[in-house]
Amino acid sequence: MSTLIKKRYGLLPGETGKFAGILSGFILLLAVLPILTMIVMSFSGASNLDFPPSSYSLQWYKAAWHTFVSPDASDVLSLGKAMTTSLMVACLTMVFATIVAVPAAYALTRCEFRGKAVALQLMSLPLVFPMVVLGLALLLVFDSLPFQITTSRLVIAHVILALPFVVKNCTAAMLSIGSEVEEAAQMLGASPTRAIIDVVVPLMKSGILAGMLLAFIVSFNEFTVTYFLYTIDVMTVPIWMYSRTVSSLDPTVFSFAVLIVLIDFVLIWALEKLVGEGGVSF
Amino acid sequence: MTGLILENVEKHYGSACAVKDVNLHLPEGKLVCFLGPSGCGKTTLLRMIAGLETLTGGEIRLDGEDIGHIPAHQRNFGMVFQSLALFPHMTVGENIAYPLKLRGVSKADQQARVVELLELIQLQEMIDRPVAKLSGGQRQRVAIARAIASRPKILLLDEPLSALDAKLRESMQVEIRQLQQRLNITTIMVTHDQREAMTMADIVVVLGEHRVQQVGTPIEIYRHPANEFVADFIGSGNIFPATALGNGKVSLPGGDALQVPICSSIVVGEKVKMLIRPEDLQLSQPQATAGNRLLGKVTFVRDIGATIETTVECSGVSFTALSTPCQDVGLSVGNPVSVTLPAEACRVLSA
Repeated sequence: MSTLIKKRYGLLPGETGKFAGILSGFILLLAVLPILTMIVMSFSGASNLDFPPSSYSLQWYKAAWHTFVSPDASDVLSLGKAMTTSLMVACLTMVFATIVAVPAAYALTRCEFRGKAVALQLMSLPLVFPMVVLGLALLLVFDSLPFQITTSRLVIAHVILALPFVVKNCTAAMLSIGSEVEEAAQMLGASPTRAIIDVVVPLMKSGILAGMLLAFIVSFNEFTVTYFLYTIDVMTVPIWMYSRTVSSLDPTVFSFAVLIVLIDFVLIWALEKLVGEGGVSF
Repeated sequence: MTGLILENVEKHYGSACAVKDVNLHLPEGKLVCFLGPSGCGKTTLLRMIAGLETLTGGEIRLDGEDIGHIPAHQRNFGMVFQSLALFPHMTVGENIAYPLKLRGVSKADQQARVVELLELIQLQEMIDRPVAKLSGGQRQRVAIARAIASRPKILLLDEPLSALDAKLRESMQVEIRQLQQRLNITTIMVTHDQREAMTMADIVVVLGEHRVQQVGTPIEIYRHPANEFVADFIGSGNIFPATALGNGKVSLPGGDALQVPICSSIVVGEKVKMLIRPEDLQLSQPQATAGNRLLGKVTFVRDIGATIETTVECSGVSFTALSTPCQDVGLSVGNPVSVTLPAEACRVLSA
């Protein structure tokens, strides 16, 4: 009976056919293909970059571990130091982007002011701005300063890049908070600032946390802009990996990459757990 | 003078006017209802009293002191919002204790007051429950308990029952009224539901077209509406045009004369509006016209069981009469009918 109905009416709204299934499977495959290639390559037993590898082994993981604990002389900088820089920059980016984004999100949702539309546009500009141009522009600005800043200029650049994501998540969280709860807190005796701290921020919590994690991920993976701004002593993991690939093309890089992707996966998983499905806007 | 006094209060948003010329004296311990259609400025007025909106003109005084410049959080007024605005990240107990925490009350005293209030609203066992796990009526009670926790000078209710279903609303009306009388707290409630206002209020302030239309007890407002707006908004009424003939007589559009209460401000020949409530009209089998008994024709009958609404065309006016089943004279559409308009039930409305 049910097959008969199906035949007569075809697909009902909300049902997908075989074709849609195959199509989405194919798109998903395209998305994970680079990651799969990388994982396969990291287990290569050969000493070149041929794909697929002729044999498999753990030799590159061994080499990677070796680089990590005792960097050889040919390396400009140890991975350990690059990792420390990356983590520090990512953490600082996370903190500063949040400090800027929370009040910004509040102002963008609660307040009516002239130029609000422009402010909104400017906020998401880094998303569409060519990274190379942004990197170059920042380099020019930082080089014209009368003093030298190294780590902090990476943080500044990363905050600019992470800000749209953090603001977007915080704004989404703000939108779900009615102004009445804030007014209620004030009626109960809380000053406007106290009302924000006691009521608005706790209710924004998931949005703030999502934004923080995103800021961390954006900063941790950032390459293009950082490429313009790194110095020989201060470089992040992606830069370190790239410079290593240029100098000696070996699959060690893939072993590192697997590690980094693993970290990213854990962070994104934490993000989803934290705010639930559909709660994060990228 | 004690109580809350509003003097020439007005609020403009740019060139748009929300309320103007509001002069009110709200005595202590009474429940005052701001009643009016949506967009009449009643919520704006309440928010100005709360301190959530600034005044663009006039003064608000509490016990002689101008409170216009005092920010909302220093007024110590309790308020229940339309959405209730309970804090979803806090438990019932934490919500109620919040105003006490802000005032630096000791933990033990906070706890004691929370328990006392929960007893008052009969939700003792809900103290550690998150507010999301409460029913609509329970949330309502928690919102009220939170609003009165710090013993505010005035309690403000902004359409607090609008989210509840009809049955629960009726019982909450009685509950809130009883609570208000027990605590003897000056309360201002905003509503667009006249039944709610009639049930709960000591004084009703009818607002319409951005100004106060009438202030009075519920019965005064119903029986003696000050103008056509109030007569039309409160209850259902037959409002019809007439011409003054002098000596307390008016003539209907169809020419029939009617005896009505003498109104000194009306001059002979003036066109006036009259009001008679549907329950005051008396229908009977056709008899000769005499006094205020006129002849008419039934045009519609709506029998909804508890009451029967009969629409009668009479002297150029369409009247609706309300009768109970035992008063029913068994009329159907097209029947001739006699309509009696008791003189004391007719009201001349000032234009």
